[in-house]
Amino acid sequence: MKDAPVIELLHAGIAREPGAEPLLSDVSWHVLAGDFWVVTGSHGTGKSALLETMAGLRPCDGGELRWFGEPVALSLAKDSGRTALRQRVGLVFEGGGRVFSQLSVAENLALPVSYHTGCSLEEALDRTAALRTTLELDRLAAAPAGRVGRAWMQRVALGRALALAPEVLLLDNPVAGLDPSQVRWWQAFLTALSAGNAVTGGKSTTLIVTADDARPWADIGRQFAEVRARSWKVVDGSADPGLSRPAVIQARG
Amino acid sequence: MLAPFRWLDELAGRLGRWVLGKVDTVRQISAFTLITLGVAVTQFGRAPQVVRPLIRHHLVRSGIRLLPIIAFIGSALGLLIIGQTLRLLYQVGQEDLIGSLVVTVIVRELAPLSAALVVLARVGTSTVVELGTSRALGEVEALEALGIDPIHYLVVPRVLGITVAVFALTVYLLLFALVSGWLVSVITQVPLSLDNYLAQIAQALRWQDFPLLAIKSLTLGGVGALIACYQGLARPLRLEDVPGAAARTVSESLVAFLVLDAAFLALQLLTFS
Repeated sequence: MKDAPVIELLHAGIAREPGAEPLLSDVSWHVLAGDFWVVTGSHGTGKSALLETMAGLRPCDGGELRWFGEPVALSLAKDSGRTALRQRVGLVFEGGGRVFSQLSVAENLALPVSYHTGCSLEEALDRTAALRTTLELDRLAAAPAGRVGRAWMQRVALGRALALAPEVLLLDNPVAGLDPSQVRWWQAFLTALSAGNAVTGGKSTTLIVTADDARPWADIGRQFAEVRARSWKVVDGSADPGLSRPAVIQARG
Repeated sequence: MLAPFRWLDELAGRLGRWVLGKVDTVRQISAFTLITLGVAVTQFGRAPQVVRPLIRHHLVRSGIRLLPIIAFIGSALGLLIIGQTLRLLYQVGQEDLIGSLVVTVIVRELAPLSAALVVLARVGTSTVVELGTSRALGEVEALEALGIDPIHYLVVPRVLGITVAVFALTVYLLLFALVSGWLVSVITQVPLSLDNYLAQIAQALRWQDFPLLAIKSLTLGGVGALIACYQGLARPLRLEDVPGAAARTVSESLVAFLVLDAAFLALQLLTFS
């Protein structure tokens, strides 16, 4: 399973916006299929910018981003010939997941399916019904997504990303501000997703999660990295910052 | 520079910066227009099950829902301009000029401009608020993360819907104005038969009026929609920037409408000379 990298950052700089001073520089990171990365760091260190760069939403400040061996340009979303590649990597934003507030919860999940498969919205709603049930969103299906609680918005964003069955899922601080029962649900769900569950048809999903605190993920993640003071520190297998695995990530601050 | 002329230097500097700022805005809106046209052409037929209902939605919202206000404005124009002028012309024995007057004032000028202004006021501003809020809340990046082109999903349906709506509303506004104008002549007992009234209008119309009216109304609708979408979507916005973007949409669209109106007037003069 672990052969070619699914996502690679090669000597990339990470900046909040083009032209701004980089938050991280010369990052080289190889994410392999089946990995479960947990990237920790305090607020403002550049975790979100790193994830959005890896998702192809921000340009690298130098260097290169590759998905499945192919270079990724910023215009990927606009390139109708490469939508198949785009669908292989999903992103869940932090802080409510940036759900489409004008659409209902069910429509948020159905929109990407309808858009990319050409089926009607009604058909897409049927196709995503099982996913809604798995995410315990059935009772909120008709509610406007902008009016459900923040914890549920985060699940809607997760469902929206999973609706396209991505092979790699990037999650930006998914449990920030959630109560313990919600955190436990996310831990259990992502563990099952990494191992392969009904949502993915039994296939393992490669996961990269960012978090302010590594502790909730210590027993779940398999690879760990820390962003601090414009540099990376890679830790392996636990949240112990003393262990490094430079063969996987190399970066200089 | 000498002290007495320093104010003149500052004034020229301010004026220059203002002009350059406006030129830059026109350049950016032109670039946004070209991008939108490019997306509309290159992604024509992509995701029809999503895009077509959106076009229908914006057509209903910008067209059918505005029919009552268009009926009111059309009737008012007929009452105020056709009815009053007809009565005046009758008093001076020149009622044969009513056809030329209706065609020049209502058909060529006021109908497309009024329809575009109504759509700008009712739909253009709300479009900026919707798109600006989506932009400020990061929903645009969420679309990109799902492989959905924001121009294709958010802008193209709005521009198509609003453009076609302005054209359709122009036609309805004309009909209401013509009917109400004749009704006023009946009520005020001006001896002008419906046949004579319609014959005069038909005589004053030239074949070029039909394509020019269609092009003018479509252009005004398209430009207004593009300015609204540009202000809402093309630049990074925070929530507190959205009201300012809505105000800029109104002022820029008004200026654009008047400039286009002058351009079409020149075109009409060239065509009809």
